[in-house]
Amino acid sequence: MLIKAILLGLVSVVGVIDSRWIGRQNIGRPLILSSLAGLVLGNLSQGIILGASLELISMGFVAIGAASPPNMQIGSVIATAFAIISHASTQTALAIALPIAVAAEFLDILMRMIMAQFGHSADKAIKQGKFKKAQHIHVYWAFALNATLYFLLIFITIYFGANSVKDIVDMIPKVITHGLTVAGNLLSALGFAMLLSTMLSKKLFLYFLFGFLIVAYSKLDLIGLTLFAVILAFIMDKVVYGRKEKEEEQ
Amino acid sequence: MTVEKKQLTKKDLVKVFLHSMAIMCSWNYERQMNMGYMYGMAPVLDRLYADNEEEKKRAYQRHMEFYNCTPQMTPFIMGLTASMEEENANSNGDYDTESISMIKTSLMGPFAGIGDSFFQGTIRIITFGIGLSFAKQGSILGPILAVGLFMIPSLLVSYYGTFLGYKSGKTYLAKLYEEGLMDRVMQFASIVGLAVVGGMVASMVDITTPLKFAAGGAKLGIQKMLDQIFPKLLPFSITLGIYYLIKKKINTNFLLIGIIVVGIILGALGIL
Repeated sequence: MLIKAILLGLVSVVGVIDSRWIGRQNIGRPLILSSLAGLVLGNLSQGIILGASLELISMGFVAIGAASPPNMQIGSVIATAFAIISHASTQTALAIALPIAVAAEFLDILMRMIMAQFGHSADKAIKQGKFKKAQHIHVYWAFALNATLYFLLIFITIYFGANSVKDIVDMIPKVITHGLTVAGNLLSALGFAMLLSTMLSKKLFLYFLFGFLIVAYSKLDLIGLTLFAVILAFIMDKVVYGRKEKEEEQ
Repeated sequence: MTVEKKQLTKKDLVKVFLHSMAIMCSWNYERQMNMGYMYGMAPVLDRLYADNEEEKKRAYQRHMEFYNCTPQMTPFIMGLTASMEEENANSNGDYDTESISMIKTSLMGPFAGIGDSFFQGTIRIITFGIGLSFAKQGSILGPILAVGLFMIPSLLVSYYGTFLGYKSGKTYLAKLYEEGLMDRVMQFASIVGLAVVGGMVASMVDITTPLKFAAGGAKLGIQKMLDQIFPKLLPFSITLGIYYLIKKKINTNFLLIGIIVVGIILGALGIL
């Protein structure tokens, strides 16, 4: 079981490589990770079949922005492992895996907060002229943190059994998980505020308000908003520079 | 004395393409793909500001700002900003570097909209649909086709996007700069950029309150009332509140920790 637990942990690291290092080529999708999990457990074709049904189930779960659906990278590896090792049906295996997939999403929230802290370390490194260090924080530290967390979660789940992990997850009170989710959402407000602090001026505030109000009231997507903003920008260009051109002509 | 013009090579841009693939490596709640963008631009900045430490620091810092876009669409924007950095490095300091951030910010929103729906919404559904039909019978072709077919357009758009972005920057933006029209480009980009950021605050900052109050025996949800009067009032006022604190020169490190603590407390108390 030790070897299996290590190998399955490494399968989840493949998913981490996909999202962290090679720009989400979808290698981290359930179809691929379940196939790999099947491969290391010596039952490739069952892994592929399980992967197909898990992929269908999770087709809707695409993380967009900061929304948090259950983590299907972790979920699919664990579900496949249980289905193959204990001959459970896909549905049962998924039912076992789902609480852990939710716990993984909780880990992700913590991780994205720690990485916000990494960002401040990188700021500091740049100020000191340590450019390589700033790059390493991004490409090595962040990767190592993610890979270690996922590896350990899978390893512990497979080695000690899903129930022991579920017990730990159940011990974390709802209050804390909810509090962390709220804190995560507040942090994205900080990110935008930092961006605005370099862009915004009294003169430009109206355009920020323009974009905000359109989306808040109409739920228009960003492409639609951009089209409106481009028209507004053309009008303002005519207003400001069109007048100047006329003055120059006279 | 003639100063040699700094020029990016094809090799530099290939490095940008390779680095751009790790754009999501340190995705975080605060500035999302900020470090990823810095990492992608690093080969360019190292080349252009090799002899000017202070300029280099400023350049690195300016690419640490909030950024979020589809990984496959990012190389184009990086190519474009690379051409602007090149212009800046050759300009003796009269180039308005704010325009670099403005161009970046005004493009990331719409590019993410197009990129997400094209790659994750369309290409992925098609290639995984093909893969699934094989995978259901346990065929190894399933996972291979799903990813293999996805990677072709994904890598092509990323690779050629880098060069296309750089070239269009060279042809169009540089021309506008030489004709002294950058002010106009700046105004244009600021309007679109700020409108997009405003829209992102409304759509991506998810803060609501579960608070209810009793009125004549009936319980009224405060969020529901807010939605009717001024939707997204909470994200709006909290973002601007934090903006005000940053402008008051409150340390952002302190803000980061403070916000996490306040968030956990308000969440636990059931206020947010």
